[in-house]
Amino acid sequence: MMKQKLMKTASALNQPTEAMTQEFSKKRDQLAAMGNEQMAQRPDLEKMVGGKNQQMAEDNNRNFARFMESIFSEYNPEVLVETVMWVFRSYRSHGFHTTYWAANLNIWVDLLKQELSQETFDGLYPFYNWLIVNIPIFVKLTDEDFAAQEPHA
Amino acid sequence: MIDENLYKDYLDFLLKGQRMACSQIVQQLLDRDIDITSLYTDLFQDSLYEVGRLWEYNKISVAREHLATAITEGMLNLIYPRLFEASSNNKNKNAVISCSANEYHQIGGKMAADIFELNGWDAHFLGANTPIYHLLEHVQETKPDLVGLSVSVYFNMPLFKTQLEAVRSDFSQVDIFVGGQAFNWGGINMLKDYAATHYIPSLGILETEISK
Repeated sequence: MMKQKLMKTASALNQPTEAMTQEFSKKRDQLAAMGNEQMAQRPDLEKMVGGKNQQMAEDNNRNFARFMESIFSEYNPEVLVETVMWVFRSYRSHGFHTTYWAANLNIWVDLLKQELSQETFDGLYPFYNWLIVNIPIFVKLTDEDFAAQEPHA
Repeated sequence: MIDENLYKDYLDFLLKGQRMACSQIVQQLLDRDIDITSLYTDLFQDSLYEVGRLWEYNKISVAREHLATAITEGMLNLIYPRLFEASSNNKNKNAVISCSANEYHQIGGKMAADIFELNGWDAHFLGANTPIYHLLEHVQETKPDLVGLSVSVYFNMPLFKTQLEAVRSDFSQVDIFVGGQAFNWGGINMLKDYAATHYIPSLGILETEISK
């Protein structure tokens, strides 16, 4: 049910225009670097990503930017849902706390607003908002995945 | 098909980094004349997918995942005698197989190239992260009958699309096959915009297509 809801709401997101995608693409790496810098300054970073995971968090942020570019250039809701599921499984398994995504995504929203044209921001923001509002669902679904992996008593 | 117990033993050796034990199993299967597509799909591919899943759930480290990948690449070398045997069945067709620019997962592309060779084609496998310009240069030089493009990670799709457009635009006569894990959840729709460009979902289907 929850996954169906994710697919339904993801399907309602609109493919950004080529111009919006190109503007994002040009600034993609810069935005990721700025986001990494902001995250690095947070006193609660280690608590959010787990000890010794700062490099993994920085790599994730760069990969996240590249992934979003690929989503914007050829939007497929199933790819978005399944990939985010994979991200939550993988990174939570490696010690990332669920608060990481809210923190990182809010940084991204602020940077997009600051660095992109209003038109492009308006076209891309729904994707980031969708990710933010659905964090609890991704957490719940990945909790179920983890439970399914546990050996049965 | 690979015997379930043999697969489990192979996976266990792979995860422990026991390259010799892995090669003994592979050689044993080759001596029994196993179909290479089955070997590639049911042993190498399935075990690497499991390795990926184990990393996903933090059951193994990145180092161990890379070790398993490196061992598997070594196992592919055991197939060479079969490739040399197949050279007598040459169809006078050639293919250029390449991973997308910035794509470092190359085993799938390498296996696909071997399938071409086993079926009488000459296959040039260009490996990981082939810059677009150099791929186009090589296609211009070798004039293949077919170009194969492999992409494993979805965030490489923009570069893959640029590469596909360049090949399609510069070489309108060549058939293009595309494949890789990046397409597992989507991305196939874009291919309909390109003539003579086909998604190949598995090595088995690849073998069927090139045997026609």
